[in-house]
Amino acid sequence: MSRSPLDYSINKPLSSRFNPLVFIVKDLILFFSLVGVLSFGLFMLYSASGQSMSMVYRQMIYICGGLILMVFVSHLRPNSYKNLLMHSYWLGLFLLAYVLIVPAKGYETSRWIDFGFFSFQPSEIIRLILPLSLVAYLCRKEIKPQLSDWLVTSAASLICAFFVYKQPDLGTAIIVLTSGLIPIYLAGLPFKIIASYFGLLIVSAPFIWSGLRPYQQERVLTLLDPDADPLGTGWNIAQSQTAIGSGGLYGKGYLEGTQSQLDFIPESHSDFIFSVIGEEFGLIGISLLFLIYGIIIWRIFKIGYSAESRFERLACCSLGFIFLLFILINVLMVIGIIPVVGVPLPLISQGGTSIVVHLLAFGVILSTKKI
Amino acid sequence: MKIIQDLKKDEKEIQSLKSRSRIVLVIISFLILVGLSKIIQLTILDNNDYVTESDRNRIINMPLFPSRGLIQLQDGTIIAENIVFQGIYINRKFIESSGAQIELLHEKVLQDRPKVSYLSYKGESKEKIWLVDNLNEKELAKYELYKNSLPNIKLETSLRRFLPHKNLFSHVVGHMGRITRDDEIDFSTEKYLSDSLIGKVGLERVYEKSLRGFPGTSAIEVDVFGKKIRELERILPKRPSNLTLTLDLQLQRIAREELADRRGAIIAIDPNTGYIKALVSSPDYNPNILNGSEKGMPFSKVFKDQAPFFNRVISGSYPPASTIKPFIGLLGLEEGVVTPKTIIEDKGFFQIKEDGRKYRGWKEEGHGKVNLRKAIVESSDVYFYELSSQLTVDRISSFLNKFGFGDITGIDLFNETKSTLPTRNWKLGTIGEAWFVGDTINIGIGQGYITSTPLQLVSSISAIATKGKIFKPRLISNSNIQEYKPELLMEVELEKEIHWEIIESSMIAVINSWNGTAHNLFRDNGVKIAGKTGTAQIKSLTDQELTVREEYQGVRENIKNRDHALFASYGPIPNPNLAVVVIVENGESGSAVAAPIAQKLIENYQLKFKPNE
Repeated sequence: MSRSPLDYSINKPLSSRFNPLVFIVKDLILFFSLVGVLSFGLFMLYSASGQSMSMVYRQMIYICGGLILMVFVSHLRPNSYKNLLMHSYWLGLFLLAYVLIVPAKGYETSRWIDFGFFSFQPSEIIRLILPLSLVAYLCRKEIKPQLSDWLVTSAASLICAFFVYKQPDLGTAIIVLTSGLIPIYLAGLPFKIIASYFGLLIVSAPFIWSGLRPYQQERVLTLLDPDADPLGTGWNIAQSQTAIGSGGLYGKGYLEGTQSQLDFIPESHSDFIFSVIGEEFGLIGISLLFLIYGIIIWRIFKIGYSAESRFERLACCSLGFIFLLFILINVLMVIGIIPVVGVPLPLISQGGTSIVVHLLAFGVILSTKKI
Repeated sequence: MKIIQDLKKDEKEIQSLKSRSRIVLVIISFLILVGLSKIIQLTILDNNDYVTESDRNRIINMPLFPSRGLIQLQDGTIIAENIVFQGIYINRKFIESSGAQIELLHEKVLQDRPKVSYLSYKGESKEKIWLVDNLNEKELAKYELYKNSLPNIKLETSLRRFLPHKNLFSHVVGHMGRITRDDEIDFSTEKYLSDSLIGKVGLERVYEKSLRGFPGTSAIEVDVFGKKIRELERILPKRPSNLTLTLDLQLQRIAREELADRRGAIIAIDPNTGYIKALVSSPDYNPNILNGSEKGMPFSKVFKDQAPFFNRVISGSYPPASTIKPFIGLLGLEEGVVTPKTIIEDKGFFQIKEDGRKYRGWKEEGHGKVNLRKAIVESSDVYFYELSSQLTVDRISSFLNKFGFGDITGIDLFNETKSTLPTRNWKLGTIGEAWFVGDTINIGIGQGYITSTPLQLVSSISAIATKGKIFKPRLISNSNIQEYKPELLMEVELEKEIHWEIIESSMIAVINSWNGTAHNLFRDNGVKIAGKTGTAQIKSLTDQELTVREEYQGVRENIKNRDHALFASYGPIPNPNLAVVVIVENGESGSAVAAPIAQKLIENYQLKFKPNE
């Protein structure tokens, strides 16, 4: 199991001939899986958007831009942008504070930054910036993180989550907090601290509960009793379940889904695109999609475990779990197991920010791979 | 050495990372498992339910209503048809959010109409709120122009019932109205929308099912906003039947003209078939107003208190008065109580016992010696007082019942009444008193408790014309699908056929004989008619001291208390083809007012059968 530099230098020229494609994209399986999911997403977007080519073109531009960024980042040495990542936390925090202070006009909640030609939600960016900056912070020194490091990173996650909660968006706040806690936990957060966090949570639970708005309390209660429908989202979920259920094993065929083509599925091009996939391609289509997602996640961990530095390993594994978690949350939401939260289906749902940020994250993952 | 140390440290870290990852993975795997089982439940186990559900979402079965069947005369003259109306409505869901559009509509399209606050329609439960239901061509053109700015305001074409002859057939055809809860119970097997029109009275109601046809369906695929995408399937509606009336346009016109501005009823039927040739109840109304195919008032204010919607022919109960006398006479002959030769002394009044109450005849000095023929010709009351007192109520009631008194005829119209054919039990049950001989005596001259509708009267008089046969009165002879053949309702059989002729010849003499009550109709070479006049008292004359004439002078001061004028007749003799009953309310004189109308109808009807000169 032990490797030596000697073996490495001997094996290198023998293992493979120089392949320019491998040189550029670094991991063929991961790259083509990504391209596969992305192109499948474009097809689904065409169907889900009521066959609007303009939406597909727009998405295609983001995908191309995202892929170029990904390849570019993948050729950087992780150490070279480690510090930049660490400080990007402040950019994320600034954006979160900005939407609270200067809410964009025309939206009910202060979640959006609107540049006119395009708009985005900072919370969508912070979901990936936060874990990376925390990993970078925890790995800024060679030595093991100290108690103060654990507390600082935990506090940093809490602050971000709190800002999102203030938008107000409880669901996303919980997701942001989770994406902050995953790298902290993976980095080796001592069990004593974990225990004390739980203790603190239990003690402060009544105060947090009374600090929640009534509709948020109800939303938490729906988690415990999903049949009650205080949000009135029951109709949306019922339509989405009907779409997936009526798709059956083989689906109704591409562009033949009545639920999606006749607009019965709300937000079918963004958060609810999974139900369009289910309706038109059935259980087989869903399984194939899960298979490719599985390959992508397998590659992330494969690359992560064989990375050279602690920072690289932690970054990969954190991003891998977060990617898996986003898929899971979106699917569970669409099939009606958890309440509706604003999480798009990664790499497929319409939305430039989500695509670009995810591809950037894959750039970071690929950059840890040595050829 | 440092490298090896580093490697060892790395190794330890990777192990820690892997074991921590595994814990996270276990938690996530649990969620994945939950998700996968839910997906399998949706797509495999409950697949059928969701397929049904998604079809129910997108497919709407719209009923397709065929246009209502026409009603026409034998010669094809249209009596009831359908005309196209363009209306605009707004869906109840959108009424509150469409204020601006309604404003625009008024400003640009409906400039000539007064503004109405449509929010006041909120209370109704129906889905569509009609803003205007009869756009004219100019408004229609403007609506098309501004259609895109008025997305919530929709155009719908509808068919409305229209009677080209307006009032003339109002009590025959009837009118339509919006369906109500009661109607829905009656017609629960048919598909009606909540704002459907349905026949409310008359033929429109009785023949509702045939006129309506059977609705088809159109399966339409709609999107989430209910917008039609395409038609998936269409089942064509079954065309309704067109009905052919038995009525004669000419007779109907004459009858209505003769009754104009009076209250009354005229019914003329062919005694050999039961087919109705004229049916007029006055005053009448314009059904087109109620059908929504014309604007205005259904009747003039003058008739407000005169029940213009009331069909006097089938629902009006009148004392038959002296028109009952031929039947009482016939019974007398049948029972052998009198013979044609039996003579009764008419001194102007009748007493059951000496010193008893005096039942006065209409002629104070009396008719002298009277046999049956003279009693009918001159309409002697005293003869029939005497006769009926001997016949008893039981025999009279059961005999009159054979002619249809006290029963509905079953005419194809809505709301026919039975009227009253009194018996001992009826009086005990309804009035709560025992039967008196005096009651029988009153029945003998068609007064007192007995009432009948003009329809019953014409039906029973036709039995004399046909020597006993009564056909069910009918307004519809056939539709394009089936024929409604004459239906023998009942047949009166006499002990001696000669009795028919005795009665008939007396009734002919009512006109032809110099002393007949309707001799005013007599003309040389005129159409030979059999008839009987009647004068129905509204107010009973009870004063024993005053003569009938003296007492009536006071009563007639009030027009509403004046006697009804009746005439029941048939002709021509022999081979009668028309039986006519005319009732003019408060018309006083059967012979002067009612009889000439009946004669005119019978004479006019004969023109149809004369070869062209």
